[in-house]
Amino acid sequence: MLVGVKFCGGCNPRYDRGKALEAIKRQTREESEFVIAEEGGEYDTLLIIGGCTNCCASYCQYKSKNDTIRMWDESHIDNTVQIIKNGRNDT
Amino acid sequence: MALMTGAQYIESLKKLDTKVYLFGEEVKDWVDHPMIRPSIDCLAMTYELAQDPQYADLMTAKSNLTGNTVNRFSHLHQGTHDLIKKVKMQRLLGQKTASCFQRCVGMDAFNAVFSTTYEIDKKYGTNYHERFTKYLEYIQENDLVVDGAMTDPKGDRGLAPSQQSDLDMFLRIVEKREDGIVVRGAKVHQTGSINSHEHLIMPTIAMTEADKQFAVSFSIQSDVPGIFMIYGRQSCDTRKLEENADIDLGNKKFGGQEALVVFDDVFIPNERVFLCEEYDFAGMMVERFAGYHRQSYGGCKVGVGDVIIGAAALAADYNGAHKASHIKDKLIEMTHLNETLYCCGIACSAEGYPTEAGNYQIDLLLANVCKQNVTRFPYEIVRLAEDIAGGLMVTMPSQKDFNSDLEVGQSGKTIGEWCNKFFAAAPGVSTENRMRVLRFLENICLGSSAVGYRTESMHGAGSPQAQRIMIARQGNINQKKELAKAIAGIKE
Repeated sequence: MLVGVKFCGGCNPRYDRGKALEAIKRQTREESEFVIAEEGGEYDTLLIIGGCTNCCASYCQYKSKNDTIRMWDESHIDNTVQIIKNGRNDT
Repeated sequence: MALMTGAQYIESLKKLDTKVYLFGEEVKDWVDHPMIRPSIDCLAMTYELAQDPQYADLMTAKSNLTGNTVNRFSHLHQGTHDLIKKVKMQRLLGQKTASCFQRCVGMDAFNAVFSTTYEIDKKYGTNYHERFTKYLEYIQENDLVVDGAMTDPKGDRGLAPSQQSDLDMFLRIVEKREDGIVVRGAKVHQTGSINSHEHLIMPTIAMTEADKQFAVSFSIQSDVPGIFMIYGRQSCDTRKLEENADIDLGNKKFGGQEALVVFDDVFIPNERVFLCEEYDFAGMMVERFAGYHRQSYGGCKVGVGDVIIGAAALAADYNGAHKASHIKDKLIEMTHLNETLYCCGIACSAEGYPTEAGNYQIDLLLANVCKQNVTRFPYEIVRLAEDIAGGLMVTMPSQKDFNSDLEVGQSGKTIGEWCNKFFAAAPGVSTENRMRVLRFLENICLGSSAVGYRTESMHGAGSPQAQRIMIARQGNINQKKELAKAIAGIKE
């Protein structure tokens, strides 16, 4: 599964978004490949990593075959991993 | 052209022939001068963070002019979402530099001149808007830094520009030619002017017909003949010249910059002129730029405030005072003040509206309330930071003393050992780390960074009274009277 990643801009993050992505990558190594989302690119899933509840990153410019996973808290890591492992999106 | 990296930006400055003077002498290699370089490195962060996927959502935007990805600092706000992201970007950069990163004046000038030229053309049939749009495309595509320059020396504050005994106290048109104009005067307090590839000049106040020679807006490269810059001193600035300067600087990496920019009969070609004697639009340009810039402070100063709060909390930890209830309460108060400023920055952005030209303007009342608070709260934040830090932040010996191996006294200890002995505090905390955080607070509270955090908060984007005038104009007192009459049953 190709996962396109988009971070929010990180003006006041409540957790380390980069480390969160690394943790997700470690746990889904077998199922997924992660790339920074680029305009024009097409992904199986989009993962939007916000730093706070506002999760304000813009992502309508990217194409995704499945729905989009949005996370904005460290506690969302496990659920995100599960969704990616299951190849579906429950958010 | 792709977005520049920080290193490419610094290299691009080296290609300029900008005339810079400091301590009465010309500085040829100003990019590498130890008093100037931290401000360049600070501005370079606006390029570096734009390259990082973790920050790109705030640092970049899609240009409505070209469709290309551009640095947000050269973007025209296309909605309230852009205005909000601007404030968030500024908070981010304040957090990463704890300094004034200097590029906001250009962004605010672009948006003000873009919308004002549209309305000038509509009234007078001029083609300023088309000229400016082409100019901005050039800036976006080349990812350049532009100093949005407004403040004139102003001479006798009680007199209009045309009444001054020295007419150069307001930058003015001294000659009109077929192919352009010649300007003379100066802009003062110019943030980041030396670090800018270009200057975008605007008038400083609303004007009448008598002042029309002063009603001028134009852009110009920073290194054309006739322009030179005299560097502004900052408190404790010569510490940067000390050998192996590090801890005593408080913020070794970054800093701000202001300079006097002189225009000694500079020729401006027509294609770079955006206002030429249409005096009735000087006020609009000023008001729009000031509005944007008063919004800006609800982001940048908040980011710096975040670092100050963190430093104060660290100082409390290192002093062993972090469990004291009054320390916790002071940190809460600092946070409350800082986030209140952020609320104002976000609010005036969320309440923004489209101009006739299509770009978005902030809510003027809320932006002025924002800046009015900025003239006060940072002072209280640094007062509380000094309170928490303790007097040592201004009485501590130098880094050289802490590192000295000169034996003094009768027990064979070195100066460094005496310092480390008597300036130790909480268990497990190195005196060096304690020294570092206290020097940071000294720098921001009353050293070179206080220029950006304190006095710039007071006078940047207009002194407090300028905001009070705007608050009075926008306050809608008559509507409030009607509300009171309705509730109180007054019929008249």
